[in-house]
Amino acid sequence: MVDQALRSLAQFLPETALAVCFCLAILVGIIFRRRPQIVPVVALVGITVAVWFAIQQTGSSESVFSGMIVVDPFAAFFKIVIGTTAILILLFSIYSSEVQSTIKRLVEYSSLLVAMTLGMFLMAGSANLLMMVLSIELTGLSSYVLAGYTKEAPDSSEASLKYIIYGALSTGLMLYGISILFGLTGGALEFSDINKALAGGSVSPLALLVASLLIIAGLGYKISAVPFHFWTPDVYEGAPVTITAFLSVASKAAGFAMLIRFFKVSFIDSNVVGLPAGFWASLQDFEWNKIVAILSVLTMTLGNLVAVWQNNLKRLLAYSSIAHAGYMLMGVVVLSDKGIAAVLIYFVVYLLMNLGAFYIVMLIEAKTGSEDIDSYKGLGYRSPFISVAMVIFFISLAGIPPTAGFIGKLFLFAALLDAKWIWLAIVGAINSVISLYYYVRVVRNMFLRDPEGAKTPIAFSLPQFAILVILVIPTLVFGLYYSPIVELANASLSMFGLP
Amino acid sequence: MLETYIPIFVVIAGGIVFGIVMVKLNEWLGPRRPTDEKLSTYESGMEPVRTARERFSVKFYMVAVLFILFDIEVVFLYPWAVAFKELGVAGYITMTVFIVILLIGLFYVWRKGALEWD
Repeated sequence: MVDQALRSLAQFLPETALAVCFCLAILVGIIFRRRPQIVPVVALVGITVAVWFAIQQTGSSESVFSGMIVVDPFAAFFKIVIGTTAILILLFSIYSSEVQSTIKRLVEYSSLLVAMTLGMFLMAGSANLLMMVLSIELTGLSSYVLAGYTKEAPDSSEASLKYIIYGALSTGLMLYGISILFGLTGGALEFSDINKALAGGSVSPLALLVASLLIIAGLGYKISAVPFHFWTPDVYEGAPVTITAFLSVASKAAGFAMLIRFFKVSFIDSNVVGLPAGFWASLQDFEWNKIVAILSVLTMTLGNLVAVWQNNLKRLLAYSSIAHAGYMLMGVVVLSDKGIAAVLIYFVVYLLMNLGAFYIVMLIEAKTGSEDIDSYKGLGYRSPFISVAMVIFFISLAGIPPTAGFIGKLFLFAALLDAKWIWLAIVGAINSVISLYYYVRVVRNMFLRDPEGAKTPIAFSLPQFAILVILVIPTLVFGLYYSPIVELANASLSMFGLP
Repeated sequence: MLETYIPIFVVIAGGIVFGIVMVKLNEWLGPRRPTDEKLSTYESGMEPVRTARERFSVKFYMVAVLFILFDIEVVFLYPWAVAFKELGVAGYITMTVFIVILLIGLFYVWRKGALEWD
């Protein structure tokens, strides 16, 4: 037993690094009470080490801690995405006025960010229903506190409360679904055991449908899919921008990793022969991908249509991130390796452009004190570099070449057409056109409108520009030279226990 | 079979009789000078019937949360203590890690001043 635990621990290094880093961050915070600025550095080092360990895991495929968690390229990919996001968010925090104005609480901020990253790492790797719930809760509890971090601002507390209420409800629904599934499969908790039980026995299709719908409700809440999205705009608006950016990328990535793993491993039918290469089939009589297709259409359509009416840029980006979850769900619908690869590619791209957009919102908010679209009027003259970067992120979010966003959408639509999901591809294309309108509205304000009020140039420091450049360059480069991400995504498709 | 329970019944019956006799004897022999204060449920405690809509200090909440935390620690320690020999070194290391993590938490709570009432 000791041997097995030690062997598992050797495969558990990224998570161990984060757990140790969490404890260290707290201890350092207490010991050096007068200088809380060192704690983010500890967190930064810890997360970097964790990402480095995750990179080492890209080749392995193992099940650790008696089947609770799996270590495979798929999990490693998401750990790298989540870890990179966490590192960038910690860098953003250095220049966040919201975070820096409450410097006494920097210890809690950094350590909770590490705890949240740990929860998401576990989400990416969990292959057991219990582990799934536990890791969702770890992520959730840390993010509820962080959403209300600026407790002096009433909307931040409101965001936190709304988040926790929706979170409790959706976890409750998910647990109910899990309990039904547990009963249906005769006590299976591991995804692969669920698959065996479902493939072998005759299970009531209605009960299975109800259980899956309830579990989709829990996971849909994490990825903010319509109709489980109600918390998203309020939480994104109320939380500090750094946390909003983290939730919109990392939380969504972890949710997607869990959704894809759960549905693929639990409901794959490995006995079907004669499928084209790269495709797989769902268990008979249970087409969960049709549910996801409906969810996808609802999510992107509602996200885009409501985003058109937003005047607060944080709210606009919140609805845009809902819409992006809808696009990514399209890749899950098609039941092919190409579809999943497209989702992975999209996540790399989404990380860059979405974090970039939120970073600029944060910088401008620190200078002008407003997140309103009107306060961006004439920004192109006041701060040309920032504005051009914003344009690049926005046209990337809209999916226009030659930016990385175009590549992400291209692979998604290619996977859809490959699997003959023509109608879904058309809905997705129409949605991209709608999204162009509200992104361009901000761009128009920046370049075609005269500034209201202050006309003086806004200056930014060199490190602030450096962080921006880290995000802008790949957004442009991956638009033209995209084979590295495609190769990475294709190499990250294999999951433990699946051919 | 049932005869074996007779001593228990005797003890219970004796207990009930002894209790009633002592209370009645006290009432009959003892001096009684009742006042309002003496007749209240908790003579030197809080009022038993009050409005429930009262504001409590948030400090009670902190104490309750900390209590639950260390209560759960004990819940985990008990089964470990019972199965200590079977679990061996692996169990010992696991519990040490667990307790160290909790100690870091306690240290944090302490230095943050959550254990001070004022």
